[in-house]
Amino acid sequence: MSTNGTGPSIVLDGEKVAYTPGETVYEAATRHGKDIPTLCYDPRLEPFGGCRLCVVEVEGARAPVASCTAQCQAGMEVRTRSARVEVHRRTLMEMLVSENREVEVDELTSLASQEMTELVDRYEARTGRFQGRQSGASRPDDPNPFIMRDYDNCISCYRCVRVCAEQEGDYAISVKGRGFDTQITVEFDGHLKDSACTFCGQCVQTCPTGALGDLKALAYRDVAGETKKTRTVCPYCGVGCAVDLLTRGNTLIGVQPAMDGPANKGALCVKGQFAFDFVQHPDRLAHPLVRGEDGELHQAGWDEALDRAAEGFLRVRERYGRHAVYGVASGRAPHEAAYTMQKFIRGGFGTNHIDNCSRA
Amino acid sequence: MTDQEILARWKEEPAPLLPVLHAFHARDGYLSEDAIRAVSKGLRIPLADLYGTITFYHHFARVPGGLDCPRVCTGPVCVQEGALDILAALAPAGATGMPCSGRCDDPVPVIRGHLTLAGRSAADLVTRPAPLPPPTRDGDRECVFRTIREPGHATLAGYRRDGGYEGLARAVRELTPAQVIESIDRSGLAGRGGAGFPTGRKWRAVAEANGTPKSIVCNADEGEPGCFKDRALMDYDPHAVIEGMIASGYATGAHRGFIYLRYEYPETEHILAEAIREAEEAGILGTSVMGTGFAFDLHIRRGAGAYICGEETSLLNSMEGKHPFPRNRPPFPVTHGFEDLPTVVNNVETLASVPHILALGAEWYAGLGMNGHAGTKVISLSGDILRPGNYEVPMGFPLERLLYDWAGGPFEGRTIQAVTMAGLSGGFLAGEDLFVTLDEPAIRARKSFLGAGGIMVFDDSRNMVEVAHAAMEFFAHESCGKCFPCRIGTQRLTERLAGEAGPDALVAWVDEVADIGYTMKETSACGLGTAAPLITESLMRYFPEAVSRHVTAHGALPMAGRG
Repeated sequence: MSTNGTGPSIVLDGEKVAYTPGETVYEAATRHGKDIPTLCYDPRLEPFGGCRLCVVEVEGARAPVASCTAQCQAGMEVRTRSARVEVHRRTLMEMLVSENREVEVDELTSLASQEMTELVDRYEARTGRFQGRQSGASRPDDPNPFIMRDYDNCISCYRCVRVCAEQEGDYAISVKGRGFDTQITVEFDGHLKDSACTFCGQCVQTCPTGALGDLKALAYRDVAGETKKTRTVCPYCGVGCAVDLLTRGNTLIGVQPAMDGPANKGALCVKGQFAFDFVQHPDRLAHPLVRGEDGELHQAGWDEALDRAAEGFLRVRERYGRHAVYGVASGRAPHEAAYTMQKFIRGGFGTNHIDNCSRA
Repeated sequence: MTDQEILARWKEEPAPLLPVLHAFHARDGYLSEDAIRAVSKGLRIPLADLYGTITFYHHFARVPGGLDCPRVCTGPVCVQEGALDILAALAPAGATGMPCSGRCDDPVPVIRGHLTLAGRSAADLVTRPAPLPPPTRDGDRECVFRTIREPGHATLAGYRRDGGYEGLARAVRELTPAQVIESIDRSGLAGRGGAGFPTGRKWRAVAEANGTPKSIVCNADEGEPGCFKDRALMDYDPHAVIEGMIASGYATGAHRGFIYLRYEYPETEHILAEAIREAEEAGILGTSVMGTGFAFDLHIRRGAGAYICGEETSLLNSMEGKHPFPRNRPPFPVTHGFEDLPTVVNNVETLASVPHILALGAEWYAGLGMNGHAGTKVISLSGDILRPGNYEVPMGFPLERLLYDWAGGPFEGRTIQAVTMAGLSGGFLAGEDLFVTLDEPAIRARKSFLGAGGIMVFDDSRNMVEVAHAAMEFFAHESCGKCFPCRIGTQRLTERLAGEAGPDALVAWVDEVADIGYTMKETSACGLGTAAPLITESLMRYFPEAVSRHVTAHGALPMAGRG
């Protein structure tokens, strides 16, 4: 289905297709299955027009145009993969390879971290051409525990700066200097913790080269096994951000936001993004504890512990009535546990005194 | 002034960021961390964003005493006039180099604090006015320079004595805005900043666009190396610029105007401010222009050192206090300009032509050109030429006549090896192509363009690869960093012209330079990136032997080819 007969249309690689007024050429083309390369593009952000990889040929135009910023015009004839634009894309990719320390980055670095590598492969751009000085200066001095600032691999697409401003509204980072010397920075070249940064991690997850990395996840890079992604909802608060939990075997190795999460569209906060260490923390209880006559906690079996708990709850209910019981589920508990908890309080005790710390 | 006084002075004005920053810069001699924090709070601009924006401008000093450190012009002409010796001599005073500061007919300019000094050695630096345009032989074919050499012409009295403001008076009293536009249309006047867009068409688009308030912006950010015409026009004929802006406001329904003046012209700011004051006092600017009830206010906004701010959408972002990256177009400034409202952005020379057209008629202006081209163009001529300076030539005038008849030709015993076009942006013309006529179709046919009209002359004593390297270094220094092809391409071309990196085999070297240039030309987001490769392209076209010698020489170096 590519025409509707009445609405406006463009000719896309020889095929007449419909577009919605206001739609960009890139959006229309992508919707019709074209795989136009981009690196500065993030569908959540205002079109920027920086990477120029998305250039397409438009009949009548002197030079190729950036499809991410060009709006569809009725009758426009667009070629998305002509030899001419493919030559430019390859040259641009070779130029990018020449300015960075490395092209391969660990997949745990971030959600978008493989974008550049994939395009380098697609355009066979590891030719070693265009050698010269490398751009960007990494900030290993930044002591924050969450975000790796490895700007030796930065290509100045400014997705981090733009997501921070346009999505998160923090304006914590910006562009310093000009041209080849541009550098992503906070005010006065300081550290993230002294800036307006809230460590939401959105800059990390949209970085297409691994210049920004998820230090929490990267700490698990040596855990063996295939990375499995499990879609779930962050339990920390009531917003309902969709996340993908990354696991290898039985180890939770990271969290990535779901770009298609209806509530968050790729956004997370510092807790949802980075605060998962408790799951496999050594301090975590591994067995029931029961307080003895000596006032200390002692390891106990499940039967003993459950009996003691039931006994205590029943005593309270008998003495003070069913509404004397109040259940608060933890935001760190799985959703299934939270569900069971409310069943238990409502059905078991017959009270609606149930809450969750996530509601706060 | 206290922080609060500075902020209060500007806070309610349009486009307040640059004047606020300049006020702190002037007060403290640099922009301190405290000052930047105060501005961030006072104007409600996020601190990181403001810091990044300030670092975009190379003339905002961020260390104490920075404003008073000498900045020596190391533009292509000044380097040949001893700029590097001056820079070395002033090094103990903290001197730094700066890109061409627009005084190539009177080298070498050095900016210190708020003063421009000029001289050929560190010992003889003096303050002196920028040179007047030299007299020409075809004076009767001039437009903007027609009356500029009259003594006292920069004052309101002198300007009026020479017929100034008569055209505007007739326009606002006797013509409708549509008739003014019609007249500019018929004159054939087109953008003299280099783009050549028909001025009447631009004005009509703004007049017809929805949204108020509309603005007239005079682009006086003359940053192109080898261009110094707008300085002469503003220094010696400031009222012509003002008159042109008021006329543009009247024609389009705009009631406010801004002159975006490049940082490097501190004296010009005073001249313009004084002319504006005179015009306000005389009722020419203000709530009722010449008693007609049409209101027009004029503001000066001073840049802070960034070539890209001469690109009109960068300029608008700069005025708005944003990071001065160029905007994506469309939409164009005529509908979405300053503060996203309809805006005329015209070059100084374009606006200064308007009073003459209004006074003497569209047909008179159109008739000044040669071979069917309308009007005139000011050429800033500099370098290895006997009489450098600003020359107003009829459009279509032979370059050869300008170089030899008007400007005296090369120095004794020398021959002209090459000239640049459009300052640096048009690359080089050499050989047979020096017999071109000065009009866009003729120059474009030679793979270059006239642009803002800067022509630098290089005689046979010059190493053209070195000249090309200096040119590309300028573009790399001024690339804004927004688009990949320009940001990386200008850097890589500079390294190759410097012999610092790149293949050591000629064929591979030429391939790389040509491939980078092709992609820059076709995919860069603005004119800087599309024009810069004309330097390498024309260098390889006219001087293949010099390129070959350069690559061979550097190929022998141990590090060449390994970045």
